[in-house]
Amino acid sequence: MNIIVCVKQVPDTEAIIQVDSVDNSRILEEGITFILNPYDEYAVEEGLLIRERLGEGKVTAVTVGPSRSESALRDALALGVDTAVHITDEGIESADPFAVATILSKFISSLPHDLILCGRQAVDDDFAQVPAILAELLGLPQAMFVVGLEIDSQDMKCKARREVDGSHEVVEMVLPAVITCSRGLNEPRYPSIRGKMQAKKAEIPRKSLADIGLDVESAGLASPKVKVRSLGLPPSREAGKKLEGEVDDVVKVLVEELKSRKLL
Amino acid sequence: MARNFWVFAELSGSEFRKVAFELLGLARKLAYKTGGDVTALAIGPIEESNTAKLGHTGADHIILCADDVVKDYSTEVYATIIADLASEYKPLAIFFPATARGKDLAPKVAAKLGVGSASDCTGLEMTDNQRIIFTRPMYAGKIIAQVETSGEPQIATIRPNVFPSPTPDESRKADVERISADFGEDVIKTKILETIVGDAEVNLTEADIIVSGGRGMRNAENFQIIRELAKVLGAAVGASRAAVDEDFISQPHQVGQTGKTVSPNLYIACGISGAIQHRAGMSTSKCIVAINNNPDADIFKIADLGVVGDLFKIVPVLTEELRKEMG
Amino acid sequence: MEPTRIIYWNIPYHNLVYILVIIPIALFIWGFIRIFRLIALGKPDNRLDHLGSRLKDKLLYVLGQWRVFKSPLIGIAHGMVFFGFLVLLVGTMLEALHVLFHLFEIKGWFYLILSFLLDILGFAVLVGIIIAAVRRYILRPKYLDRMWEDGVILSLIALVVITGFIVEALRIAVLKPPFEVWSTVGWTIAPIFEGLGKSSILTLHQIMWWVHMALSFAFIAYIPFSKLRHIFTSPASVFFRSSLPKGELPPTEDLEQAETFGAATVNQLTWKDLLDLEACTRCGRCEDACPAHASEKPLSPKNIIIDLRDNLHRWGAKIAKAGDEGPPDDALIIPTSIEPEELWACTTCRACMEQCPILIEHLPKIVEVRREQVLMQSAFPKELQLTFKNMETNSNPWGLGWAERGKWAEELGVKTLAEDADVDYLFYVGCMGSFDERAKRVACDFVRLCQRAGIKLGILGGEEKCCGDNARRAGNEYLSYMLMLENIETFNAYDVRRIVTICPHGYNTIKNEYPRFGGRYAVFHHSELLADLLLDGKLTPCNNGGKPGRVIYHDSCYLGRYNDIYAEPRKILEAIPGVVLDEALQHHRKSFCCGGGGGRMWLEEEIGKRINEMRMEELMGKDPQTVVTACGFCMTMFEDALKAKDMVGQVAVKDIAELLWEAQGEG
Repeated sequence: MNIIVCVKQVPDTEAIIQVDSVDNSRILEEGITFILNPYDEYAVEEGLLIRERLGEGKVTAVTVGPSRSESALRDALALGVDTAVHITDEGIESADPFAVATILSKFISSLPHDLILCGRQAVDDDFAQVPAILAELLGLPQAMFVVGLEIDSQDMKCKARREVDGSHEVVEMVLPAVITCSRGLNEPRYPSIRGKMQAKKAEIPRKSLADIGLDVESAGLASPKVKVRSLGLPPSREAGKKLEGEVDDVVKVLVEELKSRKLL
Repeated sequence: MARNFWVFAELSGSEFRKVAFELLGLARKLAYKTGGDVTALAIGPIEESNTAKLGHTGADHIILCADDVVKDYSTEVYATIIADLASEYKPLAIFFPATARGKDLAPKVAAKLGVGSASDCTGLEMTDNQRIIFTRPMYAGKIIAQVETSGEPQIATIRPNVFPSPTPDESRKADVERISADFGEDVIKTKILETIVGDAEVNLTEADIIVSGGRGMRNAENFQIIRELAKVLGAAVGASRAAVDEDFISQPHQVGQTGKTVSPNLYIACGISGAIQHRAGMSTSKCIVAINNNPDADIFKIADLGVVGDLFKIVPVLTEELRKEMG
Repeated sequence: MEPTRIIYWNIPYHNLVYILVIIPIALFIWGFIRIFRLIALGKPDNRLDHLGSRLKDKLLYVLGQWRVFKSPLIGIAHGMVFFGFLVLLVGTMLEALHVLFHLFEIKGWFYLILSFLLDILGFAVLVGIIIAAVRRYILRPKYLDRMWEDGVILSLIALVVITGFIVEALRIAVLKPPFEVWSTVGWTIAPIFEGLGKSSILTLHQIMWWVHMALSFAFIAYIPFSKLRHIFTSPASVFFRSSLPKGELPPTEDLEQAETFGAATVNQLTWKDLLDLEACTRCGRCEDACPAHASEKPLSPKNIIIDLRDNLHRWGAKIAKAGDEGPPDDALIIPTSIEPEELWACTTCRACMEQCPILIEHLPKIVEVRREQVLMQSAFPKELQLTFKNMETNSNPWGLGWAERGKWAEELGVKTLAEDADVDYLFYVGCMGSFDERAKRVACDFVRLCQRAGIKLGILGGEEKCCGDNARRAGNEYLSYMLMLENIETFNAYDVRRIVTICPHGYNTIKNEYPRFGGRYAVFHHSELLADLLLDGKLTPCNNGGKPGRVIYHDSCYLGRYNDIYAEPRKILEAIPGVVLDEALQHHRKSFCCGGGGGRMWLEEEIGKRINEMRMEELMGKDPQTVVTACGFCMTMFEDALKAKDMVGQVAVKDIAELLWEAQGEG
């Protein structure tokens, strides 16, 4: 079973995000700790679990991103993926979902692949589009927001339990397929020191667009299909009324307030 | 049918979701400005009689596909139907709800049409040359972005609960065009084997009211008082990451950057300190009530109504009071 | 007639003894070779530094029985047996020397004194044994177990002494020399036998003499095969005691190079760890002091030692023989000898080590096993994973954004070293003081006190990292190493010399553990600095209306047991007008942990009672108006206990700095 895990490096969820004052379509990266996208950890873990359950297989982590993204691949290696590939090139950090999916599909189609795992969304731009576009470009079925996965390596099929608003669905698909992993699918492991040390020393091959047979034009970097015009801070919320006092009184005031705001 | 706005009218079972009407209302407003039409895409196990509501809330046309092949949702089938129609009719924009279905479908349709799409939008504006500037949160709401998509149709998923549901105008009628869909087995690559309907209390994204608990709940049993308050209010039950991490409640309840992003009319945060990653997921709520015994908790900085005190005393009294109030 | 006694009187073939004694001595030697070989399986560890203090400790703890006497009843009993045996041994050796080499005569007053001493101390041994037996079998304190070897040993010693006295009495009954009144015990019981008739007495004397010999031989042979071995191993364990500061965990293997970390099997412990296992007598004092055990967790420090020893005895030889395949699975410490629930129940409060009479090092063993579990197996309670990741990404256990670490200080005008590095002290705030709402208030009050006293503090703000204590004690050596190195690099870059902190955990680790990694600073806990400022008159507390009233000070483990800071916080409290300082039931070195150390702060406490609630209840028994702590961990644990017990408002929990600040007049 050849498992491809697509990962992304994102700012830590606790990081304070500031807009670059020079180019307001970007954020300031200074002072941000970058991490492996939390949802991608579920994808990596699922890949490892499948490999362990089947007793065979190869898990390849791949990322499309600037030089700093390499650390996300090292995190994946520390967790236990077999190999990692870093696709990077000038200007790649501003690739839109379509471009990323194009690059990934081009690269993945050159590899044997039976299952493609992604996180449900990257917690930076929160687009949640790459997996669907990737599936379309590769002509593969997809299941989004998956919280349960069973692989049938004999018949090359899988059963995925996916979250739909307020309910769950179990779907059956033929492999290869694209799965996006959500929290609840598994409990990502903590890397052992052996894993960390190996990951620290590992050589991670870097591939340019040319290496995988693309250029700025064909990768879609030149003409993004989604363009960020500007970034800004959300309107700040002001602290409202503070209610203090005896429980009964406070609750009465609260209920009156809610009523006056027509919230009940 | 130039300058058309299309809305994917999503179903829950065989009924339209509330968000479908919200999007029709939105599309209708845009259509008034540009002089275009609004088309609702009604795909799935739908009775034709049931489609009238789409007209009442803003649709001029309804494209109805209720064949057997679309009885169950299938990404490939639905996306192909919509993409084929879009190629034929060339609408200006297609709006999907930012629900699990919508997020599954929109990028797929966009990819088929070779255009971009904007996800999880909370606002939009139309320029004079009919380009739509979408407003969408990024970094889970820490940043608000203005984005546009290239080409046409301009595709976006729109977050539920953001745009008002229009008051139905029963005099409005939409024409219904029935289309049939025919697909070979080979197209349908995913098959739904089973649907497990969850509790209403988990349906956070569309809830009008959410009652949430955090680390301050201290244990799983204590969440019962949150559930009771939610029941009285007909609300969904949310939780902070801390509460989920400590196994007080299951993950689907989580609100925040690594959980659900919600914008209900009323969000009641109990024992939630308001870490940035939680605030990110709920700060677009219309009214935030915070109950916390720590007067310095960050949640009070964004709460419209802050109650400083012991939630274990306040919440049960509030539940009782509301029970009387709501009859 | 000059007082003496004829050695081997009435014993024909007595020279047979010298042949027969070969058997017990051979067993004794063989037994100890086996133990030595098992101990030699351990990893190397230099325990021959500081020879002077080693010898001093040996005198204090072995000959002085220093720690043994801290438990009075058994201390006295053990002292009787210990000193009794010592004198009997000396006496027997003198006689042997006399017989074998005729170096000197044992006669006259020398004989009388020796005989008197031997009798009295022999009697003392008997009394000691009786006290020990009564305690073990009748009083039955719950930390004392009863294994069959205990009964055998007590009976054996008693019988050796009793038969010795009988032999003596029988001899006196026949010979009746008047000077033998100095052989007091024998003289006293001799009349019992006088009625038997001379020939019977002579026969009985011969029989009893051989029985006495046989029992003595059995005793010698039994030493290496029972806890009697402690006669030799315990002094060794004291002599080879750790010379590290109490607050420093032994370093681990080179993180960049080594292949394995921590101890999966007993041979991955150090030889001294293994010696400890052989030295333990199961006295149970560690168990009695252990908060985890007291709160009904499966952990007992005693059982850790015993179970590891059983593992060593059962698997040691097989591990030694195992080649490349490695030791058998059953030899693994976890779960064969220690259950994960035991391992993770430890709060590293050090009460066990403080109590052990022979200085056994329980904690390093527990942490060494945790290290293996965390670094090699990634096996640890699941709550810790998030804590570790949070420490990695944001260098605090909650994972709050590191950039906001210095935010609490903004309104007080405290500058970071980046802004102004010319300060009296670097205030290392710690994660608690930086992020915990409650502890932030302590940090603020401490800053205000320093500002009042004219002490210039600087902080590191976002450059400060978690100190690494929690990660280290939870076994995540790699993570703590990264955190420590990052801090040291920052401290050194600003040429920091003096550090003050409000967190005993940070205090301990920076003071005692950073030097090994290249960070040497004068480190102060805020109680030390504040006590000095009071002494110098730079702070003058006054009674400005507040009535602190009855106050109980809780000794934090990392301040007290780890660093012997007991007096300073009390001095501060005594200096505050209106404070009536009382002591908790368990205080100073016997203080009971809050339950938050060793990474336990971040773990659920699901088994048994909650340690923080137990301690709070104990403190509440003294009816204080305020419980005072000097540690953010203790404070959080106590406030949680009050919430859980629905006792909020019944007592205030405050830091010494808060109390002292409240007692500062306006302006």
